[in-house]
Amino acid sequence: MYCVIGCLWGTIVGVLPGLGPLAGLTLLLPITYYLEPTAAIVMLAGIFYGAMYGGSTTSILVRIPGEAASIMTAIDGHEMARKGRAGPALVVAAIGSFIGGTVSVVGLMLFAPPLAQLMLQIGPAAEFGLMLLALVVLCFASGGPALKTFAMVVAGLLVATVGVDMITAHPRFTFGSLHLVNGISFVAMALGMFGVSEILINLEDIAKVKVIKPTLRSLMPRRQDLKDSAPAIGRGTVIGFSFGFIPGISHVISTFVSYAVERKLSRQPETFGTGRIEAVAGPETANNATTGSAMIPLLVLGIPAIPATAILLAALQIHGVQPGPQMLTEHPQMFWGLIASMYIGNLVLLFFNLPLVGLFVNLLRIPYAYLAPSILLVSIIGIYSVSGNALDILIMALSGVVGYVLRKAKFDPAPLLLAVVLGDRLEVSLRRALLISQGDWWALLQGAMSKIFLGAVLLLVLLQSAAWLLGFRRKP
Amino acid sequence: MPHFSKLVLLFCIFCIGLSSAAAQEKYPSRPIELVIPTPPGGGTDISLRMLAEIVEPILGQRVVVVNKPGGGGTVGMAEVVQARPDGYTIGGLWNAPLTMTPHVLPTPYKNTDYAAVTQVTASPVVMCVKAAFPASDGKGFIEELRKNPGKYTYGNDGVGGTVQLAAERVFTKLGVKARAIPFAGAGETLRAFLGGHVDIYGGSIPPIMPYVKDNSAKCLMVTSAERNASVPQAAGLADLGASDEATVLWRGIIAPRALPADRLAVLQKAFAEAAQSARFKEFMQKRGEEAKGSSSAEFRKLIDSEYDALGKVMAAIGLTKK
Repeated sequence: MYCVIGCLWGTIVGVLPGLGPLAGLTLLLPITYYLEPTAAIVMLAGIFYGAMYGGSTTSILVRIPGEAASIMTAIDGHEMARKGRAGPALVVAAIGSFIGGTVSVVGLMLFAPPLAQLMLQIGPAAEFGLMLLALVVLCFASGGPALKTFAMVVAGLLVATVGVDMITAHPRFTFGSLHLVNGISFVAMALGMFGVSEILINLEDIAKVKVIKPTLRSLMPRRQDLKDSAPAIGRGTVIGFSFGFIPGISHVISTFVSYAVERKLSRQPETFGTGRIEAVAGPETANNATTGSAMIPLLVLGIPAIPATAILLAALQIHGVQPGPQMLTEHPQMFWGLIASMYIGNLVLLFFNLPLVGLFVNLLRIPYAYLAPSILLVSIIGIYSVSGNALDILIMALSGVVGYVLRKAKFDPAPLLLAVVLGDRLEVSLRRALLISQGDWWALLQGAMSKIFLGAVLLLVLLQSAAWLLGFRRKP
Repeated sequence: MPHFSKLVLLFCIFCIGLSSAAAQEKYPSRPIELVIPTPPGGGTDISLRMLAEIVEPILGQRVVVVNKPGGGGTVGMAEVVQARPDGYTIGGLWNAPLTMTPHVLPTPYKNTDYAAVTQVTASPVVMCVKAAFPASDGKGFIEELRKNPGKYTYGNDGVGGTVQLAAERVFTKLGVKARAIPFAGAGETLRAFLGGHVDIYGGSIPPIMPYVKDNSAKCLMVTSAERNASVPQAAGLADLGASDEATVLWRGIIAPRALPADRLAVLQKAFAEAAQSARFKEFMQKRGEEAKGSSSAEFRKLIDSEYDALGKVMAAIGLTKK
């Protein structure tokens, strides 16, 4: 029951632009004081899954990713919506999320302890390797010319340096403003670059924005759609699950890795970015598959791997439960309650979201002259309610203009945003590793995990350069 | 015209009556805003929200929690300092924005710009090592670190944060050198410690407890003067002859400096009573923390001495304003 409430609230929060799983969880955290512990945790977990589902809806319909994990969905998902195929995109996203979520719960039950041990092997040095690998994959993931993508990634890394230096505690590029000490708000940037810039572009020629009249038939995915997306869902599940136990920002990384894989494997990689159903199915499955594996370090080790699970940890602690190796023996009802809630939650969400697809798609019937201001208003309220900081609204507006200019110049803002997320951890893990090794760079190659990650980086770069040199490069 | 001047006179008397009535108005007569300078969901937020709820019936007014994150707590803190000193805007925070951050960031407030109401919680920082570590008590731990300056690494919750400063304050006094590796909180520190990437876990007590129970970790030192009941084997600073250098993670209530003394007293009494309530005590104990409820003077003394001591520690380890 509480799981259903949680899922419902989570979906609402996920659908509202500017509010992600984190905001949804923190807003309801105080209420859980009054609930019985297991019910409280189950409800919060439901919010977590619900928001992961709901985040895709706004990405597809209005190109506003509610959080970093749905950026990749926005690219092809919204193109599909523009072609009047929002229905199939939403349905496939829901099915993919369900499969990804459910399979990862099974994976959690079967492989939790060994995976947790593997996770511990990843220290700062290996994490640096992993972040480097993620950046390289990111460069190849986007549809545009490699040079433009690369420029965006570098710009993103630069933006990530704003804020207090993690190692010396000195403020960098904050211009004396205490509001910038924690860096530039990612949510505000994402809303600006995607949501606001989309509105600006549509304003150019408002007559061209046609109101799409969805028919019942166009809501359902065609057989071909399902056939196209099935392998992508399968691969997305594997990618999402295997990335989930990697700490930090796994739910984000898994989405663009999945996108890159789908694009590489596709026979027509040049059509990615124009509304391919695989490009929606893969990343959307991947980000939900991480929800299961992100629970592994939380339940088995008592370590929150991603920000949303940190809130779950806080909730467990409120009720006097310290997750860790003894959780299964000391609080079995809590442990199995959570697992059960993950199964039920995924089912509930599927049954919830499928009928809602029709409703959501009807939002597109609203004339753009009304829709655009409402989107802006909800976005502004969303950001302000999370941070209570007017500067974030300014950042959103500025990013909107920057995003508009970038898209006019045919630069894709997605790699920039994702690089902002990666940049922070890339820098911190490198400097942490060097602090531990006392400045010895060879330490980065110590340990099996570091070798694997850096080896993969080298291999990818070599393969790509070789392809260029030999002229095998496909026309973009 | 005489009528008019009489009217003015009457009006003036009326006004004076109103304003004196306002001055004698019972405090608090409307909801109080409690500014918490962190995002919702952290330790400070969770504890103080609970406290706010308990204090409401005592004050007979609603206490509305407002989260103002940013700048490591300094943004919300600045807002409290600059608020009208009428007792309807107060702040609830942990030590960093008061005694640590002002040494490195250009904060728009000084240590004297606010009134201390009461300290509500305290929890020591614990230092733990793996079972294979060559010492198993506090004295041996310090001895081992002293013999090998710069060899051991300890994870902490961020540069210039409570864990690092609490540890460095003791280490400086005892002539010990260990290398601080900053992480973004106890969760990340625990991961690096369990994976063997740092030698020593430095942080709050609850996250490490499961590993103390299964004997894979042993805790050797806490940064409070006394030992702690959850980790009885860990030495307190009194055992190590450094009881004056105790730094714990605490949370407390502050108000704008010009708050009238009678209102400050009302707040202190109510919040101290709430902090000492059975419900809050039990809640804090579950989180491995101790409920306090000190007098305003005691709290002010704690802040001032910690501010000075940590300023020296930070200068010694090279953490200063540029």
